[in-house]
Amino acid sequence: MEKTEYVKLIDTTKCTACRGCQVACKQWNEMPALRTRNLGSYQNPPDLQWNTWTLIRFQEYANKNGDFKWLFRKDGCMHCTEAACIKVCPSGALYHTEFGTVGINQKLCIGCKACVSACPFDVPRFNQETEKVYKCDLCYDRLKDGQQPACVLSCPTGALTIGTKEAMIETAYQRLDQLDGKGVVYGDKFVGGTHVMYILSEDPAVYDKLPVKPRVPASVILWKNLFKPFTLIGMGAVAGMAALHYLIKGPHEVHENKQGGE
Amino acid sequence: MSDTLQNTVRVTDPIERIAHWLLAGSCLFCLFTGLGLMFRTWGFIPALLGGLYAAKWMHIFSGVVFAFALAYAFVMWKKDCAFETDDAKWIAQGGGYLWKTDNLPPVYKYNAGQKLFFWFVVVFGVLIVLSGLVMWNPLAFPVAVARWSYAIHALSALVIGSFFVVHLYLGTIGNPGTFQAMTTGRCSRAWCETHCPRWLADRDKGSPTT
Repeated sequence: MEKTEYVKLIDTTKCTACRGCQVACKQWNEMPALRTRNLGSYQNPPDLQWNTWTLIRFQEYANKNGDFKWLFRKDGCMHCTEAACIKVCPSGALYHTEFGTVGINQKLCIGCKACVSACPFDVPRFNQETEKVYKCDLCYDRLKDGQQPACVLSCPTGALTIGTKEAMIETAYQRLDQLDGKGVVYGDKFVGGTHVMYILSEDPAVYDKLPVKPRVPASVILWKNLFKPFTLIGMGAVAGMAALHYLIKGPHEVHENKQGGE
Repeated sequence: MSDTLQNTVRVTDPIERIAHWLLAGSCLFCLFTGLGLMFRTWGFIPALLGGLYAAKWMHIFSGVVFAFALAYAFVMWKKDCAFETDDAKWIAQGGGYLWKTDNLPPVYKYNAGQKLFFWFVVVFGVLIVLSGLVMWNPLAFPVAVARWSYAIHALSALVIGSFFVVHLYLGTIGNPGTFQAMTTGRCSRAWCETHCPRWLADRDKGSPTT
């Protein structure tokens, strides 16, 4: 299959937090809304949920000079190239699509929840009732049909755009020039590059729940790159040594010649 | 008593054998379902059991059985497997398995190698059970605890799996006459003189049925 990597660019400097993307996502993916509570913020629901794959995070922020800013960040799956979730998924439910995005096939998901803790962005969500994990698949069905993801289509300000990886990285840095460098491009420098990128108006460390240096957790690398292969290597090596011992030294026979060995 | 009974010695009681096979059975079931869950190439095991989802639950329930069997085995064998000073000497001489040695210290019930195996299973068994409990519901724990549980679980499986192969070899073809200890529970008198002479001497002084 021909592989064209796509990147969705989220320009937070253009986002007005209308939450059209949140609604469009639910509508296209037929995800129900659950009853929620006003917790004193427009951020609603308070966090990503199995039925909420994208969420505008509202954050009140004052910098060192006391300048106040209301920061909006559209949260959701970053579609990593080095995807920890795919690395730990035992069933193949999580996989890389031909667009470089991370697809999810709930039919294969066994609800082990390994991806939930492995994800450096804390994105996958588990549904207790269906015993399956859910997350954004960047509208894989729409991409396959040559359509934009529902969130991108719904965005009225142009904060959300999608295109080929090379084109979007170029667009991102052009936009940074327009902003006189008062911004940060986030997403091209870690986990092999994500297929969702941000233009942030502030330093990444300022944002709630946004890792500054996301990476595949060390525990996942130890588990999958070392312990996993060594399970078979270790057992095989020991079996080989036992076989060699049997052939060279032979079995450990009892001392039949001793008294009492009648 | 028949001739056979006179020439054999009961080395394990039925409770020990049941606990052993419960531990071994649940451990092996966990090992093979675990390999099926970890390696796509071992997918035939979950396929035989009705798929990965079914294998996941069987792995968990077998793990619960393993946990109880391990706890019982620990209480039952911890005294027999307590180390003594001569054990270092036994280890230093490779237990007589690797090169010829004449002054192997006489063993009581279990030799230092068997004791080491027991303690490895206890330590890594506890680790694999605790990490497995976290993996059962990782969302109930801080993310660092959940993440490291997977690594610890895999490491423990590696250790227990490798030691299992050693145990299998030494308990069967590596030491002819040993396997009966875990089937009929009776081994030959000559076997006892080779493998547990001090225990045999104590037993001969006391009641012949123990």
